[in-house]
Amino acid sequence: MSASNLSPQVIDYLIDLLSTQAEADSMNWLKNQSGEIKGSAKAMKLYIAFGKASRHFDKVPLQVSEAQTKEAEQHRKGFTPSAWDKLQTARAILILSYPQTDEGLWFKTMNQLFETGDMQELKSLYAALPILPFQDKLLERAIEGLRTNMTLVFDAVSLDNPYPSEYFDERAWNQMLLKAVFMQRPLFLIQNADQRANENLASILIDFAHERWAAGRNVMPELWRYVAPFFNDSRLEDIEKAVDSDDIMEKQGALLACHQSPFPKAKAYLSKFPEIQRDIKAGKITWESIGKTFAETLIKN
Amino acid sequence: MEMYIDPHLHAVSRTTDDYEAMRKAGVVAIIEPAFWLGQPRTEVGSFKDYFSTLVGWERFRAKQFGIVHYCTIGLNSKEANNEALAEEVMELLPLYATKEGVVAIGEIGYDDQTAAEDKYYRLQLELAKEVELPVLIHTPHRDKKKGTTRSMDVSEEHGLPPQMVIVDHNNEETVKEVLDRGYWAAFTIYPHTKMGSDRMVEIVKKYGPERIIVDSAADWGISDPLAVPKTAALMRKNGIPEEHIRMTCYQNALTAYSQSGQMEESDWLAPEPVDQRLKHAGNSVLRGGQTPRVEGSSEAVEN
Repeated sequence: MSASNLSPQVIDYLIDLLSTQAEADSMNWLKNQSGEIKGSAKAMKLYIAFGKASRHFDKVPLQVSEAQTKEAEQHRKGFTPSAWDKLQTARAILILSYPQTDEGLWFKTMNQLFETGDMQELKSLYAALPILPFQDKLLERAIEGLRTNMTLVFDAVSLDNPYPSEYFDERAWNQMLLKAVFMQRPLFLIQNADQRANENLASILIDFAHERWAAGRNVMPELWRYVAPFFNDSRLEDIEKAVDSDDIMEKQGALLACHQSPFPKAKAYLSKFPEIQRDIKAGKITWESIGKTFAETLIKN
Repeated sequence: MEMYIDPHLHAVSRTTDDYEAMRKAGVVAIIEPAFWLGQPRTEVGSFKDYFSTLVGWERFRAKQFGIVHYCTIGLNSKEANNEALAEEVMELLPLYATKEGVVAIGEIGYDDQTAAEDKYYRLQLELAKEVELPVLIHTPHRDKKKGTTRSMDVSEEHGLPPQMVIVDHNNEETVKEVLDRGYWAAFTIYPHTKMGSDRMVEIVKKYGPERIIVDSAADWGISDPLAVPKTAALMRKNGIPEEHIRMTCYQNALTAYSQSGQMEESDWLAPEPVDQRLKHAGNSVLRGGQTPRVEGSSEAVEN
């Protein structure tokens, strides 16, 4: 996929989006910088503007209407600006403005940005992956982004981002999922995760659950979602163990997995919990509701 | 609970135990000046990764313990003496100087007071003017008095207003001139050597709290990351007025460095929403009147 021709439209789209929620002076500054960056391949111009964007835009979440969300999808499938803040939107506009005619130069300039970025800058760079040009050549960069322990940066690659599910091979994908579980990130924000579920991942996640139990710790409830398609007799025993947990989230997660699983014994087991089964069918218990509640308990603890 | 700022602390060489202890003692914000690492670097890439650590990982690490981390960017005087390397580092500086949370150019100044040190000190004073940031001056440990006077003379030669310059590592011999000339006078509290907390108490008694800043400069050497709260406690014990303690251990540092436009009290008192996607409507866990945020538990990463 070459997004080279996509950038001007995405820039216009993002400028429209940002204009309604930023100061006019800041927008003028941004448009001037964007114009100057477009007109010159001088990297320093981009570097300085990229850093200084924080003097003009704050990190308040972007307000995106339903129509604007749809438009984002039309520009790029899975592109989710509703997960972005204003500052990173401004920074995305600046990097998209940098000339893309010389691929070597483009990578040299972007590599320097990635290598010298502060926490927020790295977040904006990685979250912009799906709208950058030369998509297939950004694979190693995306994987590198996941090696961080900075939650913010890890999230920028893994959450609300279509890039991993489209470009990662199974090994890289499974590493990302496992690390997201390990870091207790909200898995429901990982795009196309059900489609990328696989037997190897299920097996790794079960091992991980056993490790947690051995250490006397709870298992993240969203984990069972990725085991659900690959249930068997022994995994159903693990599910029963999770359902026995004192933790209501863990119980709900394990039973929602039973609901989703094609394994007949899982369905039979679920029917022993009619109240939860009813809530699942009524859409009151979803991976999103479980993920959100779980994240809240993390914040409170 | 009292709030303290430690405006000079080399966090890269401190442990998480230190961060926890600092937070417990009331430290809400720290400033980490770019400095050397105890031995000279030989490649420009080492500087790049170091600066990136200051604005990246170290910022994140501090946040896990509920402490807001700022830094200053600069080429220190010791390493300015490797001129070939210094040239390359100078090219890197503009890339970092304008980043968010970079509150000054520093620590810069003199060590041996060589010609090379003088050259890069002056170049960085010009950079500070260009990017409109305050300057943090490291005064030399040897020939300190003359070196301090010279640092201020040269700064004035380049037209920097004294209120934009923090002169650090003062002692009884330097403080009067620094204050008289209108500069911020910072004091590094070291156990055993240089300034001790008891001497600091006497200085505040003698000169009052105006433009005086207490810091720990805690690094990889013998030093104490709790020097600011401990000195505050000693001041309290010695009957120094509460307002003077607040100024020297919190407010003056904030006033001096907030001239960068990159540091304000709301950073720890009323932070911007962290992640709206994960919060239910009405959840105010991450906001709270005068309570500094501690978002550590949700951010803590197991290694």
